[in-house]
Amino acid sequence: MSDLITPFLIQSAVQAITPILLASLAGSLCQRAGVFNVALEGHMLVGAFAAVVGSYFTQSAMGGVAAAILAAMMFSLILAYGATVFRGDQVVIGIGMNLLASGLTAYLLRVLFGVSGVFSDPAVVSLARIRLPGLQNIPVIGWGFASQTYVTWIAWALVAIVSVALFRTPVGLRLRGVGEQPDAAETLGVDVTAYRIVTVIFGGALTGLAGAQLSLGAVSVFAEDMSAGRGWIAVVAVMLGRANPLYAAGACVLFGLADAMSIRLQGEGLPNQLTDMSPYLVTIAALAISHRKRLRAAAPPAEVAAASPGGAVEPQPDTR
Amino acid sequence: MSAPDARGETPRRLMRAPPAATAILFAAIVGGVLVIASGANPLQAYYQILVGSLGPGALPDTLNWATPLVGMALAAAIPLRGGMINLGGDGQMVIGGLTAATVALYLPAPGPVAAIAALIAAALAAGLYAALAAWGETRHGVPMLISSLLLSYPAVGVCSYIVRFPLRDTATGLPQTRMIPEGARLLTIAGPLNIGLLIVIAIAAAVVFIDRRAIAGYELRLRGVNKRFAGYGGIRLDAQAMRAMFASGAIAGVVGAITVLGSQFRFIDEALLIPAYTWSGLMAALLANGEPVGAIIAGLFFAALQTGGFAMQRETSIPRVLTIVLQSIVILFLAVRHGLGRRNA
Amino acid sequence: MSVLELEAVGVVKRYGALLANDHVDLAVERGEIHAVMGENGAGKSTLMSILYGLQPPDEGRVLLRGVEAHFRSALDAIAAGMGMVHQAFKLFNSLTVWENIVYAREPRRGLFIDRAKARKSVMDLAARHGLGVDPDASVGKLSVGVRQRIEILKALYREARILILDEPTAVLTPQERDGLFDVMRHLAAEGRTILFVTHKLNEVMAITNRVTVLRDGRVVDRMKTGETSAREIIRAMTGRSVSLKIDKGPARAGAPLIEAADLTVAAPGGKPAVDKVSFAVRAGEIVGIAGVAGNGQSELVEALVGLRTPDAGSVRIAGREVTDASVASHRAAGMAYVPEDRALIGSALAASAADNLAMGFQRAPPIARGALIDSGAMMVRARSLIAKFGVKIASEDSPVGALSGGNLQKIVAARELSREASVLIAEQPTRGLDVGATEFIHGQLVAERDKGRAVLLVSAELSEILALSDRILVMYEGRILADVPQSQANEETLGLLMAGRAPSPA
Repeated sequence: MSDLITPFLIQSAVQAITPILLASLAGSLCQRAGVFNVALEGHMLVGAFAAVVGSYFTQSAMGGVAAAILAAMMFSLILAYGATVFRGDQVVIGIGMNLLASGLTAYLLRVLFGVSGVFSDPAVVSLARIRLPGLQNIPVIGWGFASQTYVTWIAWALVAIVSVALFRTPVGLRLRGVGEQPDAAETLGVDVTAYRIVTVIFGGALTGLAGAQLSLGAVSVFAEDMSAGRGWIAVVAVMLGRANPLYAAGACVLFGLADAMSIRLQGEGLPNQLTDMSPYLVTIAALAISHRKRLRAAAPPAEVAAASPGGAVEPQPDTR
Repeated sequence: MSAPDARGETPRRLMRAPPAATAILFAAIVGGVLVIASGANPLQAYYQILVGSLGPGALPDTLNWATPLVGMALAAAIPLRGGMINLGGDGQMVIGGLTAATVALYLPAPGPVAAIAALIAAALAAGLYAALAAWGETRHGVPMLISSLLLSYPAVGVCSYIVRFPLRDTATGLPQTRMIPEGARLLTIAGPLNIGLLIVIAIAAAVVFIDRRAIAGYELRLRGVNKRFAGYGGIRLDAQAMRAMFASGAIAGVVGAITVLGSQFRFIDEALLIPAYTWSGLMAALLANGEPVGAIIAGLFFAALQTGGFAMQRETSIPRVLTIVLQSIVILFLAVRHGLGRRNA
Repeated sequence: MSVLELEAVGVVKRYGALLANDHVDLAVERGEIHAVMGENGAGKSTLMSILYGLQPPDEGRVLLRGVEAHFRSALDAIAAGMGMVHQAFKLFNSLTVWENIVYAREPRRGLFIDRAKARKSVMDLAARHGLGVDPDASVGKLSVGVRQRIEILKALYREARILILDEPTAVLTPQERDGLFDVMRHLAAEGRTILFVTHKLNEVMAITNRVTVLRDGRVVDRMKTGETSAREIIRAMTGRSVSLKIDKGPARAGAPLIEAADLTVAAPGGKPAVDKVSFAVRAGEIVGIAGVAGNGQSELVEALVGLRTPDAGSVRIAGREVTDASVASHRAAGMAYVPEDRALIGSALAASAADNLAMGFQRAPPIARGALIDSGAMMVRARSLIAKFGVKIASEDSPVGALSGGNLQKIVAARELSREASVLIAEQPTRGLDVGATEFIHGQLVAERDKGRAVLLVSAELSEILALSDRILVMYEGRILADVPQSQANEETLGLLMAGRAPSPA
């Protein structure tokens, strides 16, 4: 067992966690604001693509990150306005956005670079890694952070900052109320629609960053559909964490470890088609176990209702 | 206090006819801008799509493409009719495809018998796997939206493993099974078309008939309108969810089997997934809000669009993935636009 | 005294064809407790929502301290010193008490909420008005009475000088109600003005200074509480002097068809919602369950019909053990059920009347023909039920979402009664219905009884319970306190029992 937990394993886990972590942070905030964001997957893909494009044309990783954030924020406008001002069905919009992201990035990949499938080019600058001297000597945590991109550092800092903001500031308190009881928040003078729009767009920025880490973090490559279900795992992390950024981060760590372990098992000679399943299986098991625990606590899982299509918009009882 | 909104109607997700036309027009305009931005002529692109799908000689190709796509639209429409979403079509289709290939290769029976057994086995295997997602929701509280999708990845992974190792065709060395003996293949009708088309037509007819005339159709439709009412009225919701998902998965499995037995003649890793039938089918079903006839029409429309896309790519410089972009814009427009309608109502 | 704090002058509000407020005049003096009375649907809630800025009047004016007020939203009303405690609380269950109270008006320290200051001001406010709360408790775990205190504190935190309480006692136990009355008296003594919306007579007599009575959207009377009597107020409210009486013969009770034994439903927060309840309803009798709303009636019914699995005890329907079974099994045993919420549970609003009326009949002839639906038979059935129950609907193909409350209830009742099931459970069957529809439903319930069925009636309307039931079970805090035959029941004894007190031996 001990030879399984190596500095390399921890490092690749931390690396794998970053995009999911950022996306789950976005998802948690949206959930708090009362928007069920299943478009995280698409946001991430748009971000990953824009990051490569930005990096390629500006010849700088920073340019890539900026492009990723901007593009994903623009993309998030569909959900931000579609689910609020236009009151569309959040799940349908989310699924549509994921497909749009998949098609649009593949289309632009061909048009801009004339390739299909995978694009890599020396001109694409990847994210710099921060190396703090001595860090690699601290077991586990130190191993994990010894050589990571600044996006990873930002991601963990954001988890802390967002948690504090959510639970300690007036804006955070109002946001939590907006998602739970929009009527009540509205009568107390909080503009529910504005809160939701801003939150979804901010979530777009976070998932854009996640996409940048995906395409410019470990590699400097864009591959079609490279988000590969990570956005959905983030959705699950939000559910497991009950929209608490810290708990959701805990769930992300679990998936990251499963992911890293699968790479490790490949090293042991298991075919990757089998080991690649582990994050998904861990996810399903975690959901089932958390449901059982919650049943015992006798609190109904609100997320389940939110997850079924149309669940968020029940007809109002006719009081007359 | 609540202003008497006597309607209080359950939101119908999307509207039909005229809004659909507006949505298509809108998608054409946005797509056109995209085409112009990439330095090509949108009118030429759309002309090629039209000719390449419905023009002389193109129709068989469109129908051939529509066979799996409409099949997957029906697979998506069944749960959607009851207010559920099956995002795991990919996994179910692959399971069906691999099961069919295995049965057709290894069942010691005359060809036609093997083919029929392969189709049935594919439907059963994929149906049971889909029902697993429903079981996850009813017994373990994992929302079906999530469980169906997450179960898809391991299914694809395991099938990929099987075809890479135990069942790999050693002659070619590629990740694919051996060729299925000719007797066990689906009969060809003409050109690219085989009796898989007839099977999908039969499934479509059955789904429409059940939806309109059968008790099961009534119960599923009413569940879609108000799930709590259906439960209160005495419908066993858990069993119903399992049945709907089984039917959905079984159709997806048959689609996989048809493709394997009718066009590819072997199970090839990833070959079933690349055309993204699952997602186009889901979009078609969403477009019709699960109503089967609407889903079939939308599926045919998307099939024509995508088939035309090949011609467009051939004749112009525009990548055919543009058609996927057009499809998703149609969906998004209707999803958002539907909200507009509701607010003004 | 006699400084006018709040006035409504000639307020008119229409909803389509319905005239909810018809030139209503209301004058409330500073520092008084002013009751606004009327039956369900008399227009009380509409008037309050206009005063509070939730909706504008079609005609007429609202004057605040003699100055015309133009509230665009509740926000303007709050800024002008008004507060309202709604019947359905507007609280954030996952947040703490103090977070709920300071929400959107948080004391700050730099970027952060000044939690110490927020908690202190909440505690000070609570202490000053005798509204004991734990500022750090999570609201979702608190009892209804405490939640109401939080709503009042929320208004007081925003310096409300006028407080509107909309049916505040409907959900309270007698002790909680007495506590609320103390708070109301205290607030009035401080010079705050209280508008008390209710339809409970004894409460009006106990606490108010003046009364304005609404009926059918119009003000029918204004009285000083000290100079009037309960009888006079009732006459004003109902336009008749006695409550409804129903013509029915004596019950001929037969075998028990609904049997509950030690039925228990747990609730979050310790005390069970239904606490070891045992009773039986026999063929040919109507058993009424009386009680203040929120004493476990809803949970009891959910456990009886199979919408909720009881935590202990057993349920038998027509002799068949169905404790842990689904609604479907209960129905198969022979149960019809008219649910409390006809729009969310009792019907599919977007579906047609024919579809709604067929639910539960789709698996048996004549509607079922093998595995298929005979749509002709479905239409025939729908048409005959629509005619028999006098539902006003364009056709059997029209969606039921467009129907009025009374007509929708007739659809629900038509479907359930046509089951000819041996057991009928009816929950608030006439809530929100007009007099005609109410009488019709009452007649149907009695007819069911006379056909030898076991009828369980759950209603918050004591008069309805008294008029219909052969026996009355009184529920209080999850338990059944008494089983009273109709002949021995009257408003007074039941009222005492509903308050949790055993009647003194006569």
